[in-house]
Amino acid sequence: MRMGPYIATCVLAVVLDATLAPEIEILGARPDFAVLVIVYGALLMGGRTPIISGFLMGLVADSELPEYLGLNALALAITGYLASKLLDHLVKANIFVQCTVIAGATLLHDAIYYVVYYRNHLDLFGRFFVHQALLGAVYTAMLGAVIYAVARAANWRGVTSASHW
Amino acid sequence: MVSLLARFLRENRELSTLIICALISLTLLALPPAVKNAVSFIVSTPTLGPVKRVTSGATELLRVRRENTALRRLTIELMEERSGLLACRHENDRLRELTSFLIAFEEEERFEMIPASVIGMPGGRVLEGIEIDRGLEHGITAGMPVIVSEGLVGKISTAFPGRSLIEPLTSASSAVAVTVERSRVRGIVRPRYRSAAELLSWEMDYVPARSDIQAGDRVVTSGLGGVYPPGLVVGEVTLASEGPLTMTVAVKLAVEFATTEQVFIVTGRADREPGRGDRLEELARTLLRNTPGDELELPGNLSGDEPDSLGESTALDPGEAER
Repeated sequence: MRMGPYIATCVLAVVLDATLAPEIEILGARPDFAVLVIVYGALLMGGRTPIISGFLMGLVADSELPEYLGLNALALAITGYLASKLLDHLVKANIFVQCTVIAGATLLHDAIYYVVYYRNHLDLFGRFFVHQALLGAVYTAMLGAVIYAVARAANWRGVTSASHW
Repeated sequence: MVSLLARFLRENRELSTLIICALISLTLLALPPAVKNAVSFIVSTPTLGPVKRVTSGATELLRVRRENTALRRLTIELMEERSGLLACRHENDRLRELTSFLIAFEEEERFEMIPASVIGMPGGRVLEGIEIDRGLEHGITAGMPVIVSEGLVGKISTAFPGRSLIEPLTSASSAVAVTVERSRVRGIVRPRYRSAAELLSWEMDYVPARSDIQAGDRVVTSGLGGVYPPGLVVGEVTLASEGPLTMTVAVKLAVEFATTEQVFIVTGRADREPGRGDRLEELARTLLRNTPGDELELPGNLSGDEPDSLGESTALDPGEAER
């Protein structure tokens, strides 16, 4: 995948996280488009791309809540790094693998972010994690499955065929 | 040491990128709030700022659209409600008018009257009859005068169980003994037809030449003949012209037959002074009868007297002069 479209996708993900995600919330859980893009960045490009893109997307997202400036950037950078490392050892073209990695990445991001956010109220963190983070991870993974289906229908190279990586 | 670090970073480029990103992130987290705000502003202004503006505009548009739909629905509901309220107001006005008429007429003339609703108007181009929802069981008999607040309508021609037929003043066979209220000149008002199906006007017959009649004079029943009690408004003189022996007097009737909904049948003249309780009870019953679906019941002792006023009334006898 070329860098231009990927950057555009990153921008779109940030915009969707800020605008669409709250509108399509289900039972308090909302999809994480940034994590989706990072995982697909790791899937298609690997290397440092998911780390840097995660850091930059996180930084932009953090500008909404200055008190925790840098926290989202840190969480997404770590998520990008681990997703990239993990996918090096997995069958990338398998939809279940993709969905599992997406769900795991979402949970990891939420865990890093909210453990700092709720540092003084860890009971609240536990409650949030059980009620919303898990559901959000499933939601994001399902969205990933939809993207996979669309990519397959459109015959996008990379997403549905491991041979291209 | 530095060379070792540089070598490590070169060999682990991904990890080194992560470490740099983490260091920047932790530095940002450690910044004082004012600096964080400034950095956030610098970052968000060129990135999320325009997006926010666009999305807030779109959200506002959606909100306005939803509000518009809700307001349209509300407008329709309010219009329906308004229509119902207007109908209620119209009915209220009508009932108020009838009630005041009833009070005035009863106090002035001491007549016993039964209110009735118009349920049909048989006839073609000329109104030959008016059907009402009161009949024999209500004490209605042929020949009873029928009035509205504007004036005389006609008389009962036939009474059936549950309904009756009024012969209105438009009927070809109608004739009313009248007098000009101002000058007391007497005559008989009849309809004039061009053909069987075309009514021209009403004229006052048997008016001697050089009688004192002018356009605008009010014409009322004279009471002669006994069918109609005296003083009921029939209409107004529109034209009075001299002839060799008699005058030609055109009369415009006071009642608008086409829009009449409620009438009163004069069943007789009251022999006794009606009590206030009687009038209130009768008015209340009138209002209740005119409010369909109303389940209200009147208490039995609303009236101070026994409800036998109709039984004590005296029916008017139809006369020879009036048909």
